[in-house]
Amino acid sequence: MKLIAKYNRVTIPIIIAILLISSIGYYFILHRILIYQLDKDLRVEQNEIFQHLKETGQLPETSDYKDQQISFHPTNLVEFKDRYSTQDVYNKREHEGESFRRIDFLVIQGDKHFIATVKKSQQETEDIVRLILMITFFIIAILLLILFISNRFLLSNLWKPFRNTLEQLNQFNFFSKNKIALQKTDIDEFKELNDTVLFMTQKVTRDYQTLKGFTENASHEIQTPLAIIKNKVELLSQSENLTETQINVLQSLNEAASRLSRLNQSLLLLAKIENLQFAHIDTIDFSSMLQRYIDNFDELAQAKGLRILKNIEDKVIMQMNESLAEILISNVISNAIKHNIDNGNITVELNKTYFRVSNTGPELRTNAAELIGRFKKESSSGDSLGLGLSIVKTITDIYGFSISYDYKKEQHIVEIIFNDLAIE
Amino acid sequence: MKILIIEDEKALSESIVDYLSAQEYTCETAADYRNALEKIEYNTYDCILLDITLPGGDGLKILEQIKEDNKTDGVLIISAKNSLDDKITGLNLGADDYLSKPFHLSELNARIAAIIRRKNFDGNSIIKFGNLCVDTQRKSVTVENNTVELTKKEYELLLYFVSNKKRLISKDAIAEHLWGNEMGGNFDFIYTHIKNLRKKLIDAGDADYIKSVYGMGYKFTDQ
Repeated sequence: MKLIAKYNRVTIPIIIAILLISSIGYYFILHRILIYQLDKDLRVEQNEIFQHLKETGQLPETSDYKDQQISFHPTNLVEFKDRYSTQDVYNKREHEGESFRRIDFLVIQGDKHFIATVKKSQQETEDIVRLILMITFFIIAILLLILFISNRFLLSNLWKPFRNTLEQLNQFNFFSKNKIALQKTDIDEFKELNDTVLFMTQKVTRDYQTLKGFTENASHEIQTPLAIIKNKVELLSQSENLTETQINVLQSLNEAASRLSRLNQSLLLLAKIENLQFAHIDTIDFSSMLQRYIDNFDELAQAKGLRILKNIEDKVIMQMNESLAEILISNVISNAIKHNIDNGNITVELNKTYFRVSNTGPELRTNAAELIGRFKKESSSGDSLGLGLSIVKTITDIYGFSISYDYKKEQHIVEIIFNDLAIE
Repeated sequence: MKILIIEDEKALSESIVDYLSAQEYTCETAADYRNALEKIEYNTYDCILLDITLPGGDGLKILEQIKEDNKTDGVLIISAKNSLDDKITGLNLGADDYLSKPFHLSELNARIAAIIRRKNFDGNSIIKFGNLCVDTQRKSVTVENNTVELTKKEYELLLYFVSNKKRLISKDAIAEHLWGNEMGGNFDFIYTHIKNLRKKLIDAGDADYIKSVYGMGYKFTDQ
């Protein structure tokens, strides 16, 4: 749920409730005030009747106007307290109920006692109250509408820096040279968020660099002792009259050292690619480079009885580091040869959209997509380090290509979809 | 043939001396920058192995010095850095080849042999072994005057064997030499190449010099 929806869900009912309660209260207070006013008018009328009686000794005429009626009824009562009340009368002429405010009081003319009744229509008062209520509801509606619109436009505008920051974070990439650029904002919360984001990304980048630097240095330092081990084993192997046990030991040593050195070189290569040491961009003819690599591996493929089917579009020109392109091609092609079966086949397809290599090979037991990960490998054999595809993946990441690996219809398929920016 | 090994790691330079001495090279060593400069100034070598990360100075400076003095010594850079920049700088400064650590001694030996062949190529581009004759300039192979038709990789393999004659070469070194790192550790392919090469040499005139050494690799020998 969006923040604004959640916010509206709470505030709008509260606003409506407050407005309703207050308008009900408003109604009653207003009603009371107006009734009080009517009662005052009735008292004025009462005084006039008394005045009239005093001056003329006669009761005034009864009257029956629409908004004021005066009547007298003889009574035996000697004492009567003034009584105010509201009376609903059905108006036959207009076919509707009508409210009157009335006062009943005792009038004494000589020795005759009358109950005088003065009635005043409440119609006007109610009309006013109704009008005021309508205005109130109208204001509520306007208020809600304004609230809705302002939330929609003002708030979405207010949240812009937040969304910008989010987008920047989404696009954040260690390889990218452009630093994270956050939109300036004068909202304290977003300023704080941006400061934190900036701090975190800088820290993460720094840590990453340190780690990569460490990997690279460590790999470099390992090279020399490895070289010594390898060379000493090689020298020892030259000795005459080795026993079978000694030969086995030497062979194991040699294999382990070779594996370690290949591993080290691959890690070093990964570290270098990730450290953007291959940042230089060349204009390369991917088609002819691919052709050259296939030719180079041709004898190798023949030795295994592999058939190579080619569907290579001419002149696929790309903006890419030459070394990285070579590494990419040679890794993908050599993988297809290495992890193939005798008398199998390889299909190499290249055009301006994608580079796809499919090959026969032993059935996959693990999830194909996982094999792109580092140190993920299908077999435990020593000739596979599980780094080949992840080197390719790292290269594709740098150029924004997408890579997929799949096993379908007994074919291993590695597909790299190019980024338009790299194609010429 | 005189070789100068400029390498600060003693164990490494010992191994190199050990291997190269058996190939009839005379080896000298220098373990630091100053020592290296002195030796270069007063002597001429057929090939100089140069480790560019040296105590006391940048190895590339030594290379610059050699070129400034108009010396014709071949230079093979060996480096733990395996860095492309170093490689390009080194080759631009006039180094003949670049090898990154760790390397096989047989590979180092083959590279040195190639450099020396290129340096003296007016004189001696023909390598003879028994009844086998390899012309490195024309890239042709003959056995008792019968031309042997070899594929590119078979020729490279033979040259590698001939450069490291009478030494044991591990399968691993062969795989890396022929196919580079990507195919390292994968020996299936070598058997086919060696089988084919051996058959061609025998068919051409009984030049059966490739011997399989149990469990270890191969040896190119007439014994």
